[in-house]
Amino acid sequence: MAHDGPHIVPKSILLKVFGALIVLTGLTVGVAYVPLGPLTVPVALGIAGLKATLVVLFFMHLKYDNPVNALTFTIGTIFVVVFVTITLLDTAFRGDLGNVTAQTVQEIQAEQERAQQRQDAIPSDSLRIAPSDYPNQDRGASMESDEGS
Amino acid sequence: MATETAPAPTEREEAEHDHHPEHLQHHFVSSKQQFDSAKLGMWVFLITEVLLFSGMFVAYAVFRQWNPDVFAAASGTLDQAMGAANTVVLLTSSLTVALAIHAIKQDRVQRCIYYLLGTLGLAGGFMVVKYFEYMAKFEHGVFPGAAFDPHGAHYEHLAEMTAAPQFFSIYFVMTGIHGVHVIIGMIVIGVLALMAWRGSFSSEWYTPVELTGLYWHLVDIVWIFLFPLLYLI
Amino acid sequence: MSTTTQDAPVEQAGPDEEETNYLNHETSIWSWLTTKDHKRIGVLYCISLAVVFLVAGVLALLMRAELSGSGQTLMGNDTYNQVFTMHGILMVFLFLVPSIPAILGNFVLPLQIGAKDVAFPRLNLASWYVYLAGAAFTITALLTGGVDTGWTFYTPYSASTGGGVLWMTSAIFVAGFANIFTGLNFIVTIHKMRAPGMTWNRLPLFVWGMYATSIVQVLATPVIGITMVLLILEQTLQIGIFDPALGGDPVLFQHFFWFYSHPAVYIMILPAFGILSELIATFSRSRIFGYRAIALSSVAIAMLGFLVWGHHMFVSGQSAISSIVFSLITYLIGIPSGIKVFNWVATLYKGSIWLQTPMLYALGFLFMFTIGGFTGIMVGVLSVDVHLHDTYYVVGHFHYVMMGGSVVALLGGMHYWWPKITGRMYNETLGKIAAGLVFVGFNLTFFPQLVLGARGMPRRYANYAERFAGLHQLSTVGSQILGLGLFLILGYALWSLAYGEKAPANPWGATTLEWTNTTAVPIHHNFERIPLVTRGPYDFHLADEVFGGGDGEALSDDVPQIPDPAPSAPSETDPTESAGV
Repeated sequence: MAHDGPHIVPKSILLKVFGALIVLTGLTVGVAYVPLGPLTVPVALGIAGLKATLVVLFFMHLKYDNPVNALTFTIGTIFVVVFVTITLLDTAFRGDLGNVTAQTVQEIQAEQERAQQRQDAIPSDSLRIAPSDYPNQDRGASMESDEGS
Repeated sequence: MATETAPAPTEREEAEHDHHPEHLQHHFVSSKQQFDSAKLGMWVFLITEVLLFSGMFVAYAVFRQWNPDVFAAASGTLDQAMGAANTVVLLTSSLTVALAIHAIKQDRVQRCIYYLLGTLGLAGGFMVVKYFEYMAKFEHGVFPGAAFDPHGAHYEHLAEMTAAPQFFSIYFVMTGIHGVHVIIGMIVIGVLALMAWRGSFSSEWYTPVELTGLYWHLVDIVWIFLFPLLYLI
Repeated sequence: MSTTTQDAPVEQAGPDEEETNYLNHETSIWSWLTTKDHKRIGVLYCISLAVVFLVAGVLALLMRAELSGSGQTLMGNDTYNQVFTMHGILMVFLFLVPSIPAILGNFVLPLQIGAKDVAFPRLNLASWYVYLAGAAFTITALLTGGVDTGWTFYTPYSASTGGGVLWMTSAIFVAGFANIFTGLNFIVTIHKMRAPGMTWNRLPLFVWGMYATSIVQVLATPVIGITMVLLILEQTLQIGIFDPALGGDPVLFQHFFWFYSHPAVYIMILPAFGILSELIATFSRSRIFGYRAIALSSVAIAMLGFLVWGHHMFVSGQSAISSIVFSLITYLIGIPSGIKVFNWVATLYKGSIWLQTPMLYALGFLFMFTIGGFTGIMVGVLSVDVHLHDTYYVVGHFHYVMMGGSVVALLGGMHYWWPKITGRMYNETLGKIAAGLVFVGFNLTFFPQLVLGARGMPRRYANYAERFAGLHQLSTVGSQILGLGLFLILGYALWSLAYGEKAPANPWGATTLEWTNTTAVPIHHNFERIPLVTRGPYDFHLADEVFGGGDGEALSDDVPQIPDPAPSAPSETDPTESAGV
């Protein structure tokens, strides 16, 4: 682009952006001493994001540049967000199948014992199936006759 | 089926062919194409850098989310004043690089060299501050990994915290890799200053200055995020 | 191909020995080692990757030989662990990930878009050297005790085993840069180096495939870089990020690893999709059906591919909510893949199918990739995967995609572009026989593995219960047939280099620039004159803009028509001829 006369960001804009960056740095340090509770991290990241945006747009010239460069950078940033968010989706909810506690294990064991007792209470002979239990010993034949009827 | 072979080079090609700038490589049609390609290539490279750092940011996010109190306490032992000073130093160096590009676009080579040297000096300053920070930590047994053994009034309470070694591992790896990038940047900027002094650059061709500027701003951006995450919250 | 005796279209001195081309304009070894010509770098990559494929393939044959009977037959358990680990690492990181982009992408892509070279030729050469450095590190890893962690390097095992792992992780870190360089180069080349008139809608689909691949390479590879760095630090400094004994989280390692390695699957398969589109269009002599759908579904797969990595971790102890989300997104991948297969089949429909060797591979791909895709959906189902995880079912599934998909497409592509790369034809009969052997051998090897896995055979064991013996032996026999087919290809490829028939400039009657506008073997600067593109990539009928977009069928002659590249196309081919079919 050199000989077509490159786009030059005026020096005044560069200096103004630099001033804004310094002010924002002061702000983020100041905010760190204010108890914001759960907002601490979002505020710090928000200010950092704002600073980064200023650097990208003006120092890195992206505001005046070929859109494909901006697209490239945006896609890269999106995938960082994807990486962080989806990983946190796991780690923030790790162990969310919360039914497996020491108590659950005890309950399951107790249930198994009760089942065992119930089974023991029934005389095992009454459960045994003997060939004579079936009305017709020749199963194939019986089915055939069923079909025939 | 109607693919034609271009009957003759276009006018611009012809023009380029006549005076054929020495920096123009044979496989490009024009200087503009070459410059745009280099720039897009640099942006693609920058997103690989972003993704490289993203891994460490993920590690940070995960461990911070599991141990918010430990991370707050451990981050309290870092020197905020030095961190803030370094932030200002890096921001200033970003400005000087931007001004160096500003100067070379107007053929002010001398000024460009001064700005580049200024950037180099600021980057050196950043590394010096970093050195003192690291040394202050090492003196009190605050190392990454297995050697982590904090002692001294300011650090003792870290010894009982479960995830404190993780915080400092992440701190040292993140700032360490960032530091490596700063050093690489310093080498490149030094070479650029030398090339500019030899008269390699002009408003006709200043691609390396432009690309290094982009790289340097990215190093700055990474620090913009590292500073609050590690030092402040 | 011997049926096409028409003269090469571009002004060309005939198959003259004196004619200079990229192969003979300089011949010293030094000129090859310092070349910045994308074509030569493609050839260099081809040779290196062939060596890696040979080594990794022999390892696979050894594994199958060990599994030819239960109990110890050939090697001990520890050796077996090292063998399957090296097979996986070599195949994935040093063969499949670079394969199609580095060989065919490098050679074909600039030709297809009408460029003199890639945007950064020096970076391209650097990529090859960095790759070699990665290979050297791998050899060092072997010499320093080997690696037996499996190709996934799961912590804590990989953080605590011996010296080889350190070298191996460094090798992967280094080799990653080779891929980044290639991907970066291709993105910029496609954006900035297209010939006049080569709009995005006129890009051959191979270029679209390479574009999507490059996006994935650039976005994913840095993450494996940082993962390997952290793993190295874990080993050397015990930084405690991944090792549970030090307070780290092993599942976090799996997140890091699969954030790269799942998209890496798409690095392997997307270029294969690209090749397939070329083969199907050329050998059915019909315009590709749904050009835009195929092109954009590649990009969609590239993007969606980043959102599903957790389906490798359903039984790793990640949270149930993320398992569910990952499972759901995994189903979505089936949509663009299905769109592609549908479009390819629709292209075949009523086309004049010409069953040359590359087309046999393309049809084989359709069959095997479909099986690979369906089994993929099945293991993507959360509840099913709990049962199938770490069984031979998974092994079968990913081999159907990686080998039956990527490698088969690569073989098809190599046959297709072989005349352009070497200037020689291969033996068509042997080619068909080999394609048959590969198809039969592959399915015989891996279909039994799907059954084995469904019956509960776990992967990564040197031994198995007696009841699995029959299927295992079947699989072993299959692997030997597959190996035979691949060695046959190697044999006739080498033979063709020396004795093959001279190839014409466009033996297949293809319509993309690398066939229509170059000499039989391209010259050093690719084109005598930079082409001016006035049509889409697959206009086997006459160009839209000339004849109003009639939906022309392929010419029904058995003899393929060579599209005429000359500007006077309308008078040469009577429009009624194609319309009347």
